[in-house]
Amino acid sequence: MIQSMNEFFQKDIISVRDFDKQKLESIFDATNKIIKLKPNDRREIGRGKTLGYLFYEPSTRTRLSFEAAIASIGGTSIGISNISSSSTQKGESLADTVRIMSIYSDVLVLRHPLDGSSRFAAEISEKSVINGGSGTEEHPTQAIQDLFTIKKEKNKIDGLKIGIVGDLKYGRTVYSLLSALSYYDVDVHLISPESLKIRTDSTYEIKKRFSFTESTDLEEYIDDLDVVYVTRIQKERFPDEEEYIKVKGSYVIGLDITKKMKDDAIILHPLPRLDEISAEVDNTKQAKYFKQAEYGMYTRAALLGLILNEKGF
Amino acid sequence: MQESDLIVRRIKDGTVIDHIDQGRGLRVLEALEIDGREGNVITIALNVPSGKSKKKDIIKVENRYLEDDDTNKLAVIAPNSTVNIIKNYKLVEKRRVSLPNEIERIFRCSNPDCVTNSSEHIESTMDVIDKSGLVLKCRYCSRILDVNKLKYY
Repeated sequence: MIQSMNEFFQKDIISVRDFDKQKLESIFDATNKIIKLKPNDRREIGRGKTLGYLFYEPSTRTRLSFEAAIASIGGTSIGISNISSSSTQKGESLADTVRIMSIYSDVLVLRHPLDGSSRFAAEISEKSVINGGSGTEEHPTQAIQDLFTIKKEKNKIDGLKIGIVGDLKYGRTVYSLLSALSYYDVDVHLISPESLKIRTDSTYEIKKRFSFTESTDLEEYIDDLDVVYVTRIQKERFPDEEEYIKVKGSYVIGLDITKKMKDDAIILHPLPRLDEISAEVDNTKQAKYFKQAEYGMYTRAALLGLILNEKGF
Repeated sequence: MQESDLIVRRIKDGTVIDHIDQGRGLRVLEALEIDGREGNVITIALNVPSGKSKKKDIIKVENRYLEDDDTNKLAVIAPNSTVNIIKNYKLVEKRRVSLPNEIERIFRCSNPDCVTNSSEHIESTMDVIDKSGLVLKCRYCSRILDVNKLKYY
């Protein structure tokens, strides 16, 4: 049997549910390779290639991270990040915009407020589509970045005790992260206000693969966790602002909390953060969220390199 | 001869949907858009005794033969039902409904933020991920859907 040398070549990246452990590990291997390469050699990977981005929701980090990633492998990027200046304001459909962008670019990144938008775009696009965040559904490249960070900083993923804190209902990164963690042998504790518990209609398949505990008490497990993954309360997704005010500031990681944590535990956050992690925590050795952002560029560069090169790199 | 047999037998041409799970009969009518406007004779029997301590609903529609899409709807709403096609008073076809692996276009995704409920030109597709437990998943937004709350196109 002839096997493809690179299973990601010209593939869409829509959901972590389409992955498995082996696929994740091969992206991690490629990322390590990217990190080790000299800048000049790295720039050969995507030379002459164009990344097209369509951001229908505000984004700073993800878009910059993708732009930095394609630039680091020698490619260029074009795109729309300010929707008010685009023809979508004139009523152009997502399908048409995707179709046009797929003519001008070699790979697309889409961020869109609707769930399932990336899968739909992938059906339309002639080029690979990467989901850069779809509604409250998924953010797969964030999960890849998160797991890579855990692996780099803890030297392993299997066997770890991981707490995920905050808005588990509306935070799309959480669903992708849980899916990705479900391929590993980990203990996961979900900590959220009662009204922001994880959606059961999105975790049916994850629960088949592994189990997790749910709690409202941050301090119940804090001294036992290896990874504390903190998320922002997603104000913009609340149907009612009063509901947001009720849960705003439910959990704040300050020095009082970090002192209760293991010395070698790490704190992650997909960013942007508001007040859920105090600035004073930034200087602790547990704070790894800025390192996590740096790894995000490398994991995205690796993913782009794999999608764009038949034989990998 | 049981009373229920009498109810399903007396039809010349058309379809008898038998063994509908008790309480689902009216939902089947809604799903199959059987509203009597075509002028056909429609008989609905609810809570018909069926076996020991069991009850079922029955619908018979004259001059209409169920199509595949209809059978798929039935499979979701009343998975134990049977479809009897009657021609000239004779039973010419009896089929059990069965869930396909995927259901296209029949139901709307119940997630209002799903792209299939937007103005984009796209129709819903649901994957049947557990036939015995009747678990449907929207192929686009990946939500697990409550079959009792699904709305039809």
